[in-house]
Amino acid sequence: MSHRKINVDQYDDEDAFVDENQTASGPTADSAQVEADVNSRAAEVRNYLSRGDVAGAVAKALENPPAGRALQTVKDRNTATVMEALAAARSTDIINIVKGLSTQQMDILMKYIYRGMGSPELYNSAILLTWHEKATEVGGLGGIVRALTDRKTV
Amino acid sequence: MSNTLRPYLSAVRSTVTAAMCLENFSSQVVERHNKPEVEARVSSEVLLTPVVISRNENEKVLIEGSINSLRISIKVKQADEIERILCHKFTRFLMLRAESFFILRRKPVEGYDISFLVTNHHTETMYKHKLVDFIIQFMEEVDKEISEMKLSLNARARIVAESYLQQFS
Amino acid sequence: MLIDLQPSNRILEEALRERFNGEAEKLQLKVADFDGVKYRLSTPESKTVLNISMAMRCFGELQRYGADAVLRREYGDMLESTPESGFDVTVRVDLQNLPQDKESLVRKLSLLKRNALAAPFEIAFNAQLEGRDSELMTIHYRDEEAYYIKAQHDRVTVIFSTIFKEETDRIFGKVFLQEFVDARRSPATQNAPQVLYSPREPPMELRGVPGVQESDWVGYVTFVLFPRHFTGPAAEGCISRIELFRDYLHYHIKASKAYMHSRMRTRVDSFLKVLNRAKPEQPDSQKEKKTASGKTFKRS
Repeated sequence: MSHRKINVDQYDDEDAFVDENQTASGPTADSAQVEADVNSRAAEVRNYLSRGDVAGAVAKALENPPAGRALQTVKDRNTATVMEALAAARSTDIINIVKGLSTQQMDILMKYIYRGMGSPELYNSAILLTWHEKATEVGGLGGIVRALTDRKTV
Repeated sequence: MSNTLRPYLSAVRSTVTAAMCLENFSSQVVERHNKPEVEARVSSEVLLTPVVISRNENEKVLIEGSINSLRISIKVKQADEIERILCHKFTRFLMLRAESFFILRRKPVEGYDISFLVTNHHTETMYKHKLVDFIIQFMEEVDKEISEMKLSLNARARIVAESYLQQFS
Repeated sequence: MLIDLQPSNRILEEALRERFNGEAEKLQLKVADFDGVKYRLSTPESKTVLNISMAMRCFGELQRYGADAVLRREYGDMLESTPESGFDVTVRVDLQNLPQDKESLVRKLSLLKRNALAAPFEIAFNAQLEGRDSELMTIHYRDEEAYYIKAQHDRVTVIFSTIFKEETDRIFGKVFLQEFVDARRSPATQNAPQVLYSPREPPMELRGVPGVQESDWVGYVTFVLFPRHFTGPAAEGCISRIELFRDYLHYHIKASKAYMHSRMRTRVDSFLKVLNRAKPEQPDSQKEKKTASGKTFKRS
């Protein structure tokens, strides 16, 4: 009777679901490289902010988000960088910054907005709500749907 | 604080609307079964990334989507022990009547006060935009109800104390 | 919204009034009162002699504080020296020898519970008015609840221990009692007795008293009575009111719970209405249809 308990899926590779989040490929694969990347980006973002260029800081922060499940601490560090950039914006400027982003950047932004709201004890939800409002205004529901369905999480 | 209410509700509205794209999907794991995948959670490919929309640490909404079902869990504001007990009583009252509410879940998801489960069956028989309207209205009215109950309790307490003690003069 | 809790027992009053003004009849009537007190009206001897008996769990304690003397004073010869079996007090009324003022007697008899409980209060008041302290008197008038009375040179203190059986009761009780504590700030009640509330911990006056417990479910309410509250004619009302405090409080807690319940039911109904609007209208399955020749029929 034990043949009923066998999980056939593990032997049948053809249609197996590949969770992209677990197996990140491409330039984000090498974890040491990713870490260095995230750290240098954090420094550059801070640079932009000290010069008062919030739009530039946001765009930079949204570059190459780390993917892959094994990189949690690195991802958290990158999230902190993004939050720093978002928090620096004046509420009246947000809409313009959003309009200046490409669709790809906006999708990444939306993912980070949700990521930030997931930790209300760390990040200010009120600001993120304003960002969400403006991002939805510009990107529509499509951006939200992509944030919900994309396997590569931040 | 109250100026975050509008963006909070509108973020919930847009996210729920986006997640409410549901279609019928039979279970991949058990023959001839059709269950809400967000509850079963056996096949990761049919589940969406769960997201949280938070107004602050004490008020948030968790939205978990899947191909055929959607779970919306709400954490209601409870500033003191009076609001806590009133919220608890109210949500319990509602959950006991989950059957007549069709989309209400009998138990809240861990860490939240009340949960809704919307399946493709619901979206096939009810208007989606009205379901979303309902969720938003629900969130507003629960807060209002708790405030009003607390106010009435305080008012009654004042009258009870005064009329008792006045008799001693 | 507010019920006025009376110190006299309404059922007893009405039954007595009926007996005093009506035909003599055989009678056996059992009546219950707050705090587990039971009465029995009966006519064991003859149709014209009415026995009113009361059973009260703390009567033994009350006797220690002079309850017998108080009852003798109030009911004179009517008080039986030996109560009926199973009861603590029996008052015997000869229906053929009623006083002119029947109403007063009816009222006095229906205050049997109040009068029995008055004894320790009277001791404390007298002591204070004479400038003496009194001992701490304990009356376990309910299963897990008691009240304590003590006279001091400038005041009489009455402490209630009360049990909250549910979390809701505890929290609602706290809200109510906080208002009692704060009441003296308002001009209407600034001369009222001072009220203090201590959830969980017994107040200092009760340290070392046997049976005094400390728990999440108990609360202690202290009334500080000043001479103006119990001098002369004020004493009677003061005693009656204090005796009723616990039942008054718990009545209002229950009333609040019932009110919340009915509010929630209304709110749930309104939610259901909104939710049902999400359903599209049913196709007109019962609509009347007309054929070309003019006949009308209902499509099933």
